[in-house]
Amino acid sequence: MRFFLLLIVSCIGLAARAAPVELTLPDKLVAKAEYREGDADKPAVILLHGFLQTHEFPTIHSLVEGLAGSGRTVLAPTLTLGVTYRSQSMACEAIHTHTMSGVEREIDTWVKWLKARHKGPIILLGHSFGSVEVLAYLSGKPDPAITRFIGISIIEGRLRLDAERFGKLIREMRRAVKSGEPRVVTHPFSFCQKYQATPASLLSYLEWTPRRVLDASARLPLPNLFIMGGLDDRLGDGWVEKLKARNRVKIIPGANHFMDGEHEFDLLDAVLTELQAS
Amino acid sequence: MLKPQSIVRLAGLFVLLVAGFIVFLGGYLWLEMERVSGQIRAREVLSASSEVEAGLAEMRQRATRMAQALALWDETRQQLSFSEYYQLWRDDRVRDAGMISDKVAGVALYDKQGRILAPSHPDRPMLAKLPGEALQGVTTALLQRENGGSRFSLFVPVHADPDHRILLGHVGIKFDFTGELRRAHAYQFADLSRLRLDLPEGGTVDLDQAISHLRFSIRPNPDLASFHDLFRASLTRLVVVILLLLFTAAWLLGRLLVRPLRALSDEIDNLREPGGSLPYKPAQASPLPILELENVRRSFNDYQARLSELHSDLEQNSRDFYDQARRDALTGAFNRRAFDEDWKSLGEDRRLGRVALLLFDCDHFKAINDTYGHQVGDVVIQSIAGALQHALRADDRLYRLGGDEFATMLRDADTLRAERVAERCIEQVLSQDFRAHGMSEPTTISIGIALSEGDGMTLHELQKRADLAMYTAKRPGSRKLVFYSEDMGGMAALVANKEISAVFQAIENPDLIELHYQSVMSLPMATKEYVEALARIRFEGELIGPGAIFPIVQARNLDTEFDLAVLRALDRDLTQGRLPAGQGVSVNLSAPSIVHAKVVAALAELIRAHPGRKIVVEITETALITQIEIASDNIRRLREAGCLVALDDFGSGYSSLRYLASMPVDLVKFDISMVRLLDSGDRRQQLMMEDISSLVVTSGYRMVAEGVETRELLDKVIRLGFSHAQGYYFDQPQAPAAWEAREQGSHLVTPLRESATEAATATTAPST
Repeated sequence: MRFFLLLIVSCIGLAARAAPVELTLPDKLVAKAEYREGDADKPAVILLHGFLQTHEFPTIHSLVEGLAGSGRTVLAPTLTLGVTYRSQSMACEAIHTHTMSGVEREIDTWVKWLKARHKGPIILLGHSFGSVEVLAYLSGKPDPAITRFIGISIIEGRLRLDAERFGKLIREMRRAVKSGEPRVVTHPFSFCQKYQATPASLLSYLEWTPRRVLDASARLPLPNLFIMGGLDDRLGDGWVEKLKARNRVKIIPGANHFMDGEHEFDLLDAVLTELQAS
Repeated sequence: MLKPQSIVRLAGLFVLLVAGFIVFLGGYLWLEMERVSGQIRAREVLSASSEVEAGLAEMRQRATRMAQALALWDETRQQLSFSEYYQLWRDDRVRDAGMISDKVAGVALYDKQGRILAPSHPDRPMLAKLPGEALQGVTTALLQRENGGSRFSLFVPVHADPDHRILLGHVGIKFDFTGELRRAHAYQFADLSRLRLDLPEGGTVDLDQAISHLRFSIRPNPDLASFHDLFRASLTRLVVVILLLLFTAAWLLGRLLVRPLRALSDEIDNLREPGGSLPYKPAQASPLPILELENVRRSFNDYQARLSELHSDLEQNSRDFYDQARRDALTGAFNRRAFDEDWKSLGEDRRLGRVALLLFDCDHFKAINDTYGHQVGDVVIQSIAGALQHALRADDRLYRLGGDEFATMLRDADTLRAERVAERCIEQVLSQDFRAHGMSEPTTISIGIALSEGDGMTLHELQKRADLAMYTAKRPGSRKLVFYSEDMGGMAALVANKEISAVFQAIENPDLIELHYQSVMSLPMATKEYVEALARIRFEGELIGPGAIFPIVQARNLDTEFDLAVLRALDRDLTQGRLPAGQGVSVNLSAPSIVHAKVVAALAELIRAHPGRKIVVEITETALITQIEIASDNIRRLREAGCLVALDDFGSGYSSLRYLASMPVDLVKFDISMVRLLDSGDRRQQLMMEDISSLVVTSGYRMVAEGVETRELLDKVIRLGFSHAQGYYFDQPQAPAAWEAREQGSHLVTPLRESATEAATATTAPST
């Protein structure tokens, strides 16, 4: 199977039409994406990168190449995060002003952009926190063209605080947002030890607690699959088990959070298997 | 032509020239080094300028890279899109992200119109508005003077898209210019520690023109400085070493070359100096270290040695010549010249100390010479000289003054010693035996001695006194050894210059000769038969007699000249009639005159000029001994001319009987000493006189007796057969006037006086 996938990536993939695309968003920012046009009769796949990353992150890039190699239309946008023509991963210490809702709008924009070019069903795939962001988008009013969701190494998006302090912080952020204070707060968030963001920005992500993620995933109106690494050490204790309790979860043994190395093929194999089911 | 210079001067000049050249060379090298150093410094200035330019370019490049990275940074575009948190980004984020270095003095974002997004930080001021060229979308670098310092700002455009089609704004960063420039480049030549920007406060200039506004110094080149110091030290040491070597060479030159050459030159100069004596040792005794000089030294020493040897030979020759010039060749005694020099060495005008002057004269040497010939005469002289030398002390010099005359000077001699020496001389001479040479008679000498007793006598006086003593000794009957005595002072005039002058002037002017005439009586009747002319000289009113005249004549060898003068005087008297007509007259001729043709001719002319007058020529027997043939011929010619010849002074000399039989004479005139034998009480002498008279008469000659002063003596000579007599018994020699007056009284000669004493005094004068 691996040999087969390699053959697809190395031979068929060369024939796929690859093109960087730019998309001017309503807020005048220009977003960039990698677009591979595949077979029209196969569902297109939108791959969303992880937190603060770009579509060129290796896990996404490998999947883009693998999926495009399998003849599927693939779109891998880079979220602007408030930066026009963003092409670089954003640092944790950067002044983050982007919000989860803004992300949802960008995802929706790209879905519409792809839907304008691909008439078939669209499958949304997210990696790490991108899975949370896709889940947030799907929790709102997703485009009907979306037929399936695959979350890879979905993370709980938590602050490493106890419940009391977390609640206090949430309240503080909400008060700041409400008062419109133009200030920036710095807190450990996700894998960032010093995440510097506006209260609105931080609050928008903090509101997606692990429980909300689990609940939202359980309430999705379309099929979904969570592919998790057997040795992912960036997850909270029992997170995978909690996912399994309410969702279909595929564990890739030995893989870490980024599914790198030889496990990228296992990931692709798993994704293709899931796609074949749609 | 160049004047020769001393080697010391030339060597010194050479050393000075070389030293000057070395100093000049050192100076030239020093200037050359300074020139090269100047070129290096000029190149360093250019290099430093190039370095600064390179630093500027590097600084700009680094700043540009930094600004461009900033322009490409997503967060920069984020701020240009949403500048709500721009100041946070400017003051913290951009630095925390490491997008700019901590050396950046300020950073700012500008919108597309060049307006700054927010007022700059008070501590990090930035331009509020971009310069016009920055708005053209090109990178702009500005250098500005700010708060006394210098700042460098770079502005680059920020585009939204990778293709730079969408301009978002501009980013500007500012540095401390000096620090950034120093960090931008490793400067080897430029020293930016005191970098100064030549701009007014607040002034700006494009970075491309910044180099012309920068003032900086050149970093000291340690290598060049070290090389410079090393070169200077090396050059100084080299010059010092060369100078030391030069002066060492000069010292060696002086020691090895100059000094020996000067020594040789000085020696040569010494040789050239008048009166300079030849060295007795080589000029340079020790060998010289330089081969050529050693050859010169040896050659010079050899030459010097040969020269010295030659000089010694010359000196020896000179001494020989000197000695020969002062030696008499015949006798080996010192000659007249040596005598005169030694005489002068005593100092003619100096007052003498104790010294005795002895004059020697051989008695009758002329007769010996004439009788036995010159060879025998020379032998006699040599023998006398040898005898005298033998008799003298070794350090007493014997001088041969001429002919048979010798002299010696005895220093510190008193009368006794002088007499002893003189007697020894007489004995030595008398002991000489000449029989081997055919001469049987003894040889005697007369000695005149004058003594200086340290009484202030002069040499001239001493010599005069010795002469007088000698003349005294030479007088007939005198002792052969005569000391000068004061009673000889009367004779001094005879040897004085006045008498000598009178003799010479008389020869020149015969009128000075005054002839006195003495009668010669015919016996036994005692009638005057003729007169004998006796020469005197009337000089300056004084009458000089024969005692003064004839020693001078003989000593000066003036016999012939004086006889000619006498003949002219006789001719004058005869011509002037001072003698009675028909009065015969006899005249004395010396031995040299009878063999002299001029005298014989003059006498023949006298006979011819006065015919009928009886002329008698009196000659001594030595005239017959000397050149007997010529004398005989001349006598014969005179006899043929009518002249009678008388042999004068017979018995006073040698009176060889061998000639008696063959003498071509008419009369034999017995010397007064012989005649007086008749008055002596010695019978033997009387008998000998009688026998000699008998012998002469028997031989056919007529005899004339001189010195007849008494009647008794006259009777005796008459008895012995004398045909003629002459003497004071009859008359004294008189001048013609007195004689004429007396003649007019009587033809018979009246004996003048009977006093033997008076007669003896008168007859002491020579008959001539």
